[in-house]
Amino acid sequence: MARSRVVVIRSGNVWTASGGLDTAVVARMFDRGLVLLAGEGRDPGVAAALFRPDDRVGIKVNTIGGRAISTRPEVALALARRLAGTGIPENNLIIWDRTTRELRDAGYAPATGRSGVRVFGTDTDGVGYGADLVAHLGVGSLFSRILTDLTTASVSLAILKDHGLAGVTAGMKNYFGAIHNPNKYHDAHCDPHVAEVFDAPPVRSRHRLTVLDALVVQFHKGPAYHPQWAGKYGGLVFSLDPVAADAAGWRIVERLREGAGLPTLRDEGRAPEYLATAEKMGLGRADPAAIETVEETVA
Amino acid sequence: MNRRSFLRGAAGAGLALGAGLPSIGGARPVLADKPNLSHVEARYYVKLPDREIECRLCPRLCRLGDKERGYCGVRENDGGTYYTLVYGKVCSLNVDPIEKKPFFHVLPGTSALSLATAGCNVNCKFCQNWEISQVRPEQVEAYDLSPDAAAERALGADCPAIAYTYSEPTVFFEYMADTAVRARRRGLRSLVVTGGHINPEPLADLLSVVDAVKVDLKGFSQAFYTDYVRGELKPVLETIRAVARSKVWLEIVVLVIPTLNDRMDLIRDMCRWIRDEAGDQVPVHFSRFQPMYLVKNLPPTPVSTLEAARRIALDEGLRFVYVGNIPGHEGENTYCPGCHGAVISRVGYRIGSVRLKKGKCVTCGTPIPGIWA
Repeated sequence: MARSRVVVIRSGNVWTASGGLDTAVVARMFDRGLVLLAGEGRDPGVAAALFRPDDRVGIKVNTIGGRAISTRPEVALALARRLAGTGIPENNLIIWDRTTRELRDAGYAPATGRSGVRVFGTDTDGVGYGADLVAHLGVGSLFSRILTDLTTASVSLAILKDHGLAGVTAGMKNYFGAIHNPNKYHDAHCDPHVAEVFDAPPVRSRHRLTVLDALVVQFHKGPAYHPQWAGKYGGLVFSLDPVAADAAGWRIVERLREGAGLPTLRDEGRAPEYLATAEKMGLGRADPAAIETVEETVA
Repeated sequence: MNRRSFLRGAAGAGLALGAGLPSIGGARPVLADKPNLSHVEARYYVKLPDREIECRLCPRLCRLGDKERGYCGVRENDGGTYYTLVYGKVCSLNVDPIEKKPFFHVLPGTSALSLATAGCNVNCKFCQNWEISQVRPEQVEAYDLSPDAAAERALGADCPAIAYTYSEPTVFFEYMADTAVRARRRGLRSLVVTGGHINPEPLADLLSVVDAVKVDLKGFSQAFYTDYVRGELKPVLETIRAVARSKVWLEIVVLVIPTLNDRMDLIRDMCRWIRDEAGDQVPVHFSRFQPMYLVKNLPPTPVSTLEAARRIALDEGLRFVYVGNIPGHEGENTYCPGCHGAVISRVGYRIGSVRLKKGKCVTCGTPIPGIWA
């Protein structure tokens, strides 16, 4: 079986002198990341192959951490522009999370108009959660109607963070923000819950791509923001394999922890075992030997 | 169920509501998030370094980072301080027959102002009220009702008691305890309907302010609690033991689910345990399961199963054993252990005759335990 490809694009120039993001650099990171994901020389890159022009694409971000440690709006908008460039009408792109308040707090400008990229939360009037429980393996949840009714395809555009209970929160756990009762899935280090929520039909049937915002990584005491343990990694992680993407994210967290003299997550008894569970369920590859990681730096 | 349909349901049940008393029920969590949250510091937690906390209210001992919520979904760490989000935020409020809780040995024929907030600290796959128990408080319509206002509402509706019920009152502990104190000052009783997943310290404090506790003993094996309750059996048994040793009245309900917890050998073990640890005077109700929530693939409990469980309980020496959710069944009546005559006859939630005088059987004078006045 072919190994799963993970692309890590880093840039030391992504930060402006004032501490903001250079959106042109972010755009180049996306361009390069998606090209490498498809394989060098394959044009026009993976995005066009993943989505049809008539797809309505949800970009699920994670904004629970506020402005300091959420998926950055500049990153989400760069992805939206990249997808629009493949022929998907902008208004068919929805950047979303649980609540509009959290999106706003993370720096997003909510938008629900008939033109342009839409940005809103599940709590928007007339949206909410689906009426019918989805019962799947150990999952019993209502799913956001943004996922089930308003979109045909999904990108998990997650912030990469240490997580006190799960070990690591990344692309798969990002979908906890799509259900009404995520508090019920944090016991047992979120295992097997992360894998089972991802495997539920509303997610698995739509998920096409994982992108991890690893520009700043909370590598300890997450998921809340603690500046002393937040590292400027300056990276974006791409994969079509949701498990491999998160496994690569875990390795990044561990490298940053090692650099700070911290014990491994396994030593702390909170390794993200849900990745191995996900692999057993056939959702992707968690074993490092089964993952081809391509790393590149862009100017 | 939206509020309008809930109101229709309440009216259809023939319940008399007090003047100006809203009967509100949990809207199904299709609602958008409409935050009506309290920000009242929680009790029973410890602060840890780096803005983390550990909740000590229930056996889960949730250890949470900043901005995280406990398993219950209604208690949140905000900057290293733990808050209850549901203090006085009532999502379900009704005047119910006290028999509906069910309490069969507490003020028969009266009504209890019954209230709940969102949230629960377990996740029973057969939950009958999941629309309010298995949601976050943003996802149901909630109304402000202070402890004093709750007590006044009960008095206004001619209720001698307030019942904390429907969801899991442990998770709204602060509100429940404060309301119970206010209620007692007004001569009202407080009744707790719980799964019993609570730590000893808060339980002891609770028992000092309430009058009766009904514990749902959902099974008698840890395997069942793990697979279908997502909780622990042992703390529930500890709760039953503690209530039985207190001055607070105790009743136990067992929801019998076909193939899941209806093994008669385990029911016998359960009955022996209740007899030995809580006493033979504790009323035990074997209730009929109806397909619900995540267990829709099983039929309702056969009446014969409930009857068999009741026979076992009586064989093991329990004095007051009932079948529930079978209106008109003879097992709904209270029988005097002395003369075996019916001292309280019931059909569903309705009381027929009460043949008690000062807590004793009018026929033979045998004391019947309970809260009768």
